[in-house]
Amino acid sequence: MSTDTVATESDGTEPMPKPRKRTVRRAHGLAGWAFLLPALLVYVIFLVYPMIRSLLGSLWDWRGMRAQSFTGLDNFTRLFSGQNADLVTNAFWHNVLWFIGVLVVQNMIGLLLAYILFVRGARWTFFQNWFFFPAILSPVLVGALWRLILTPDGPLDGVLMGMGITSEPLTLLGNGSTALWVLIAVDIWNWIGLPILVFLAGLNALNPEIFEAARLDGASSGRTLFQIAVPLVTPSVTTLAVLSFINSFNQFDIVYVMQGVQGGPNFATDTLVTFFYRLAFGAQGSVGITDVGLAMALGAILFIFMTAVSGMALRFFNKRAEMIQ
Amino acid sequence: MLSRLPAHAVIALWTLLIGVPLYLLTVSTFKSTLEIYQNPLGLPEAFTLDNFVEAWVRADFSTYSWNSLVVTVGSILLTLLLALLASYPISRFRSWWATPMLGFFLLGLLVPVRLASVELFMLMKDLGLLNSHLGLILVYTATRLPFAIFILSNFMRAVPVELEEAARLDGAGHVRLLWSVLTPQVRPAVGIVTIFTAIAVWNDFYFPLLFIFDPKMRTLPLGLSTFVGQYGTDWGVLFAGLLLSMLPLALLFLFTSKQVREGVGAGGVK
Repeated sequence: MSTDTVATESDGTEPMPKPRKRTVRRAHGLAGWAFLLPALLVYVIFLVYPMIRSLLGSLWDWRGMRAQSFTGLDNFTRLFSGQNADLVTNAFWHNVLWFIGVLVVQNMIGLLLAYILFVRGARWTFFQNWFFFPAILSPVLVGALWRLILTPDGPLDGVLMGMGITSEPLTLLGNGSTALWVLIAVDIWNWIGLPILVFLAGLNALNPEIFEAARLDGASSGRTLFQIAVPLVTPSVTTLAVLSFINSFNQFDIVYVMQGVQGGPNFATDTLVTFFYRLAFGAQGSVGITDVGLAMALGAILFIFMTAVSGMALRFFNKRAEMIQ
Repeated sequence: MLSRLPAHAVIALWTLLIGVPLYLLTVSTFKSTLEIYQNPLGLPEAFTLDNFVEAWVRADFSTYSWNSLVVTVGSILLTLLLALLASYPISRFRSWWATPMLGFFLLGLLVPVRLASVELFMLMKDLGLLNSHLGLILVYTATRLPFAIFILSNFMRAVPVELEEAARLDGAGHVRLLWSVLTPQVRPAVGIVTIFTAIAVWNDFYFPLLFIFDPKMRTLPLGLSTFVGQYGTDWGVLFAGLLLSMLPLALLFLFTSKQVREGVGAGGVK
């Protein structure tokens, strides 16, 4: 993930007379561009260029899907006034809660499971694979599966009512105060394998003697986990925090599949990207009321916010990781 | 250290938490909707393949599968080709731009691509790439390149210089050096890129949702997501389709889980 830990020494370093070397390097340079060009073209045309145009487009007035005239910050003013402001704030808080939920719960459970697998048998690759398995499922499958499980009078209700835990069907997805938490839980279930594997890689990279020493000193397993393992896997924590952040603020699929593009019920699970999608493309595919100017403004703010936060986080944590080591 | 019993209980609990929904998915494909409601957790009354036949025939499942296969294989091949080519100068040349260029590609791991969808949509329209598999392949390649170049250039950097020098003495040019010397050395990285591209492209439904209007051109996730609406109450048929759609990746994962674990460990991916 890190963008600034890249070593450059790689090419042959055979001693050569100076002038000769320079010609070799220049030839390299030209050949290098030829190898680089195809990837660079596709990357710039289909990713960088639309991204930059979107940022600039937020300053334009839009009719349909075409920019019409320059309007300065008008889109931003409209985005933060009246009903739009409420919708943005609403969606923003859902993303924040999503982020906190994933950051804390998913990574804590992931660390716990990874630590158990590490201590008790990292060679149990079966469990690593099993815990990662939901991550290879499509969001359509995950969403449909959990909708079936949670449907009123469905399997979960059947079990809970059979055991006498509840007397009437739960409506977790239809209830505005629980729906968002259900989606976050489904997301955690879906991606738990990610922190497990990242933490395991971090733990396996440590010197086993550290743990042996802790054990001989009589440190409890809890103390070993929190005072030795956690500080030493700081780089993993950084990676995971940034990933949790990026993924939480990009949420679209699970909301779309489980609660619809409106983030129902009554916008209780609306996220910034579902709101963006409605503004840009309408509520039903390409029909419905759209306001592309607003979408561009929302996209620009989110883009700057996300790139700035993850960039700063990587920078800050990388420095800290270097200090610890 | 960790006392055995609670530790094992935690592992067992999460194993079940994943196992029970997957069990439910599997048995539901053999049941009618009524049976799913009345007896969700039990084994099906009869192991009939009706739901699978229904999904395959009536829901155009075969068309979606073919489309997904074309787009996924196309994206994997193009991503690998372009990433191998680009990683070669980035990791093996002493050019001043090697590191900045890697950084430029890695930015693609951080930026939220979906927020550019309006401009991307217009670009695709102007290029005549809407409603086409080639269009999807190009967009997926652009979004997967950062990860592919990250992994491939990391592995390529570790290839010993001696190998390269020996090949040069034999008169190998850049292309032969890359293809016959470096690429075989970074085979694990090629594996990692292949699997993660396969997972990302096979499962994606955001870009088909934007760019594909012709029902005949839909990929599996898009086809099945419209299916969710259409057959929303016909759970058995829906799950038969979903189960079939996940089988190729499940099989791939079965044989390549080692590379998946390595790939995630190498940098975290999604």
